[in-house]
Amino acid sequence: MSESASGTINYLSHDKSIKSWLFTLDHKRIGIMYLIAVSLAFLAGGILALLVRIELMAPGETIMSADAYNQTFTLHAVLMVFAFIIPAVPAVMGNFVLPLQIGAKDVAFPRLNLLSFYLYVAGAVIALAALLVGRIDGGWTFYTPYSTSIGDGILYVSTGVFVMGFSSILTGLNFIVTVHKMRAPGLTWNRLPLFLWSIYATAIVQVLATPVIGITMVLLFLEKFMHIGIFDPALGGDPVLFQHFFWFYSHPAVYIMILPAFGIVSDLMGTFSRHQVSGYKFVALSSVAIAFLGFLVWGHHMFVSGQSATSSVVFSLITYLIGIPTGVKVINWVSTMYKGSVQLKTPMLYAIAFLFTFSIGGFTGIMLGVLAIDIHLHDTYFVVAHFHYVMMGGNVIAALGGLHYWWPKMTGKMFNETLGKIAAGLVFFGFNLTFFPQFIMGAQGMPRRYYDYLPEFQGYHLLSTYGSWVLGAGMFLILGYLVASLINGKKAGLNPWGALTLDWTHTTTPPHPHNFLETPIVTRGAYDFHLAKDLFASGKEVSEVVTSTKH
Amino acid sequence: MSHAEHHVSSIKMLSIVFGGLVFLTVTTVLTAQIDLGAFNVPLAMTIAVIKASLVIVIFMALKWDNKVNAVIFGLGLLFVAVFISFVLFDTLYRGDMSSTTKGTVQDEVIRNEALQSREPDPSSLQPVHTP
Amino acid sequence: MANAHSDHPAHLQHHFVSSEQQFDAAKMGMWLFLVTEILLFSGMFVAYIVYRTWHPEVFVKSSELLDPVMGGINTIVLLASSFTVALGIHFAQKDNKKGLVINLVLTFLFALTFLVVKYFEYTAKFEHGVFPGAAFDPHGVSHGVDYATYNIQYARQFFSIYFVMTGIHGFHVLVGMGLFTWITIKAVKGQFSSAYYTPVENCGLYWHLVDIIWIFLFPLLYLI
Repeated sequence: MSESASGTINYLSHDKSIKSWLFTLDHKRIGIMYLIAVSLAFLAGGILALLVRIELMAPGETIMSADAYNQTFTLHAVLMVFAFIIPAVPAVMGNFVLPLQIGAKDVAFPRLNLLSFYLYVAGAVIALAALLVGRIDGGWTFYTPYSTSIGDGILYVSTGVFVMGFSSILTGLNFIVTVHKMRAPGLTWNRLPLFLWSIYATAIVQVLATPVIGITMVLLFLEKFMHIGIFDPALGGDPVLFQHFFWFYSHPAVYIMILPAFGIVSDLMGTFSRHQVSGYKFVALSSVAIAFLGFLVWGHHMFVSGQSATSSVVFSLITYLIGIPTGVKVINWVSTMYKGSVQLKTPMLYAIAFLFTFSIGGFTGIMLGVLAIDIHLHDTYFVVAHFHYVMMGGNVIAALGGLHYWWPKMTGKMFNETLGKIAAGLVFFGFNLTFFPQFIMGAQGMPRRYYDYLPEFQGYHLLSTYGSWVLGAGMFLILGYLVASLINGKKAGLNPWGALTLDWTHTTTPPHPHNFLETPIVTRGAYDFHLAKDLFASGKEVSEVVTSTKH
Repeated sequence: MSHAEHHVSSIKMLSIVFGGLVFLTVTTVLTAQIDLGAFNVPLAMTIAVIKASLVIVIFMALKWDNKVNAVIFGLGLLFVAVFISFVLFDTLYRGDMSSTTKGTVQDEVIRNEALQSREPDPSSLQPVHTP
Repeated sequence: MANAHSDHPAHLQHHFVSSEQQFDAAKMGMWLFLVTEILLFSGMFVAYIVYRTWHPEVFVKSSELLDPVMGGINTIVLLASSFTVALGIHFAQKDNKKGLVINLVLTFLFALTFLVVKYFEYTAKFEHGVFPGAAFDPHGVSHGVDYATYNIQYARQFFSIYFVMTGIHGFHVLVGMGLFTWITIKAVKGQFSSAYYTPVENCGLYWHLVDIIWIFLFPLLYLI
């Protein structure tokens, strides 16, 4: 890039009116709007989590009644799952980064993209309002017959989830077509950044799985509204069938949450190790393999539901298989760091933290996939700890890494690196302190979702609550310095991290409204650092970072 | 520019396919009136699959379309098959190796009501002598 | 972004390189959407299959209440509408505006016919208390059929599935009618040609899928 970043127009500055934001078709602005909406959901869900933890500091009533507690954890779960974690990485970073990384001016269907954002907002508002007004409890899974026996609020929640699902489908559809049809000349599948491979795999899951939660919510709605007797056992229906319907979506949805995180970590590993990601093809295809295998394991949520032993055995067996492609990824990430020259910038700290926390989450997942062990651990804090290690230790920590990584590209400002490292430390320490004790008390029999507990578990609960405060402090610190960077942050260079993907090498910072002044032509893979010495030699800003690199 | 590259289906072929579809519809209605025992369902489903294939391949022109669209469609069908077969792994074998009965709560209620109706009137169960 | 294309067609959006890329992208998007539709309906098919394997005799008996002649007529109506859509695309590709408009209007009319027949089927059921859900209470006699004898356990499941499946399918027919109204107006205005007929192609694909769903619903619910 010969052109200097200063003086050129960018997507933020070219039109600053509110209207130009609300009706924008620019994928970058839609990504930023998602970022704001999703962050609000995360903030609300996070505050609820802190309240839940405070309530659990001591047995019996601490700050809220049992009813309020049930509603609080349900609200926390629904917000975090449907309004935060599912759209978080694909809709925020996928939207912002995907067209930039493939060298396109926009996604294939920009209007659909905007529609999908507003559907998400509408669905989230409907679900949130229903949860607050309708006093829904019983968790985010809405198992029948309990969910159809509580108030009418479930009608609105199911509508909200249906609408948010529609948004997710449209995003996935858009991304698949974009990756297939809009790649820049020379950008073959083998040169695609690994983030895009995983966004692509995620999109497949979104398109194939989400319609089923749609019809599940329709049937749940009708069950409550007209008593159609499909899921309600009192009418001759089968509640276990509801669980099949629900998990046919919701288990693949777990991969909607974790696959994009894999992608971010792969990108960070390559960029900050200054080395081609080892086993590139295996890492790429393992994303697709996980997406497909993810459809065949939903029954491992239902080992104690009364489903047939035959299906339990089948589901358990396939659950182990998922460990293989996941292991392929972890081994290749470690090997990339070993071969490369690691630079411990803030985003990389999150990637390394991810390796640790996700591995624990993954291994405990294999343990829970073992039929006999699951009978003991089902519905205990062990499960709670496991999925928080995967969802939060996996998705959220990787998403934070991605947010720090693309923050300069999004805003044109650098955040305070020292505070960034301190916050990363707080998040990592606080996270482990919150959730590791839950493995132990879960294995000892502490049931999940309980308001009250035996005094012998109080020590673990206390540790967990203290951890949640450290974690919360880390999160608020991040919010603080990121907002501060908008006001007085150092201006970001063209390529502050020395990355090789098109988003960094061929666009200004922040990008031009049409992304590229001329269509880029790709001549090397996303992590071919050995072929990119020319880039590092000429670019001024790149060289600041790269001087310390040795091959 | 796109004119030459897109497949144009001839009216003749579309008409023949339409005729075939109508014929198959009449066939399936007529054969359904005859009781073929175990073959009722397979026959009706086979005819339905043939009809659907004709619509997909000729009317929707998947035969001449980009291969990736065929793969997408095939994937959709594959996952419907996964959905159906994995649910059947449960529902067909419900209650194997466990004490769970196949019946639903409603069955239970009906059974209890039947038992209730066979029980003698509670008033006739009064103790014969009071202390 | 300097636009280098001097022959930039009106329908080409700025972020696509060529009409061909735009057409392919739109069509691929449509196929993906069709897959989501199939999976949406798959949930109801799964419910049908599960309850049928559990209570086959109830399903066979309950389906007697559905009229295969009405269903058969509707099947042929929908097949005819699929045929006219395919013809419409043929005429669009041949730059025959009149042929396109006539076939689009015919398609719309067939769709309307389908819903009218469906309306008569539904009301005939409702008159005898055959409702989905809690209101299910078959009674009365008509055409020699004593509805009360169909008030058996798990018949509610059959009719719930029948009404939900055909109801959602009928909703799709309604959406299709809206789509055909829209593209008929565009066709009358002369906005389609052999160089650009993407909306006709995609509405056609959607409509064929609605037809395919019915091709399976018909034997499952009415015949077997």
